[in-house]
Order: sequence, then C-alpha cells, then structure tokens
Amino acid sequence: MVKIDEAPATEIKEDLEEAINAAFISDKPWVTIVWDDPVNLMSYVTYVLMKLFNFTREKAHVLMMQVHTQGKAVVSTGSREEMERDVSQLHEYGLWATLQRSDQEL
Amino acid sequence: MSKKSNSDNPGFTRHGKNDYVANFSPSEKEVLINLVQQIIELLGERADNHSEDPLAAMVGITSHDSPPEDEVLLRLLPNAYSDQVEAAEFRRYTELTLRAKKSVNAVSMHTDLMNSTDGCIDIDHQGANAWLGAMNDIRLALGVRLKVVSNTYEELEILAPDDPMRGVYAVYSWLGWLQESLIQALMDDAL
Repeated sequence: MVKIDEAPATEIKEDLEEAINAAFISDKPWVTIVWDDPVNLMSYVTYVLMKLFNFTREKAHVLMMQVHTQGKAVVSTGSREEMERDVSQLHEYGLWATLQRSDQEL
Repeated sequence: MSKKSNSDNPGFTRHGKNDYVANFSPSEKEVLINLVQQIIELLGERADNHSEDPLAAMVGITSHDSPPEDEVLLRLLPNAYSDQVEAAEFRRYTELTLRAKKSVNAVSMHTDLMNSTDGCIDIDHQGANAWLGAMNDIRLALGVRLKVVSNTYEELEILAPDDPMRGVYAVYSWLGWLQESLIQALMDDAL
C-alpha cells in the first residue's frame, strides 16, 4: 500500500494534458472502419452516421465523402467491445463495416 | 455509393413531426410485398439451415460460425473482422441478433403494406426507420444479383430489352429513388 504524506516534488506542467491524452489513446487501441460499396446511397450513409454516432450533418458528410473518395474511413475509436457494438449497429443498417486494432494497417 | 435524382412523384413526404406518407399503385405495392417477402424468406432459410441449440439461441448464440455461402446473405450478414477466426467467433455470438433485427424491419414493412388497402402508407418515425433498413436490405440483395460491384451504371442502363435483368435494374433504380425520398424526409427531422 502507498501512503501519501506530501505533494510530490514534480510540478504539474502544461504538457500534462498531452500525457493524459496519450495514456487514454493507448487504452483505446481499436477502430471501426466503414468501407465503400456501390449500392448504399451517399445520403443514407450520412444519415446512418448521424443517427448512430450523433455526428453533426457536416461531420457525417465529411466522413461519408472520405468513404466515397478514399474507399474507407475510420468512424469511431475505442475499446474492442465498443467497436464490436458499433460494427453490429452499422451491419444492422447494411453498411459494410469491420473493426481492427488501430495500429493494424488499414 | 450512388447518387439519386428527383422525380415528379414525391415518394415519401413528411407530414408533421412524426408522420411519413407515401402512395403506391397496386403494382408498386405488389412489387414491394414480393421483394420484402423474399428478404424475410432468405433470412429464415439461414435460420433453418442449422438446427440451433434452443438454449444457446435464447442467449443469442448461434451454431453458425462460418459466413453464408450465398452472396446475398453474405452481404446482409457480413464479416466483422478481416481475420477469419475472429470473424467466426464474432458471428457465433452476434449473427442471430443481426438476423432478428433485419427480420423485424422486413416484417414491419411487410405488415404496413398488407394492411394498406388503398396503397397509402402512413408511418411514424420508428416505422420509417424500419422501412429504411428493409429497403436498404432489398437494394443490397438486388445489387448483388445485378453485380453492381463489377457492372457500371452505364452498362446496367443499356441492358438489352429482352434481358431479364433489365426489369430487376428498373426496380433497383426505383427503390433507390424511393429510399432517397424517405431519407430526405427523415433528415429534415434530424436537423
């Protein structure tokens, strides 16, 4: 066990935020990818992204266009369980989605 | 993905906050019933193909861990992982639920059509989302049969008059337009 007697000698610096972000990112090593397909309507993909992820219409449109022009886009990041839930919901709507580790090649 | 242009017929329109309306001719209604019926049967066949352990089924586990051989079913129930082993494990625990949700959408659309005597469909937000999902599944299925992946729209537009796929493509295009009208009606809601 640890007993804290006094404040640690190290000062809290401005790069703390970055360190905290890094710590959380390493804890969220999975991504959900939506792949382009020739059947789903562009407006439908935008609508589904807005509905499932509460994205603004603008953000959903940008991601949809990324899918359309680049063939794929990462639409969410999180734990494996969270990404499995996202993929299931995307499949329910008929979008072509997979999940993988974030450091795995897309 | 594809774009759809407008037509003279409005398709689905929104009436008030939670009311979506479309009118279909008897032949349009018949086509929609036929198509959604086929989706219901296709999903049902997948369930019948394996005698599922009833106890496992109760907690959402299916005996299916290999992807469907039928291309249409594979598009409706796709792999969640590129790795085959991980995809199989995920499928075992989730396919039953996915199939059930798609069936619920399709049955909802089927029921609305069967209950409409004059071809008028009048549905709420939940009903509209069921129609949206079911229409999309129908379009995914038709897209696989039409090989939309490898054929360009230009190739499909100029199918020979006696090509049986010509009629299928006409229905596929019409459904795309109908789906677009419902999305626009729903998007107004989402603003």
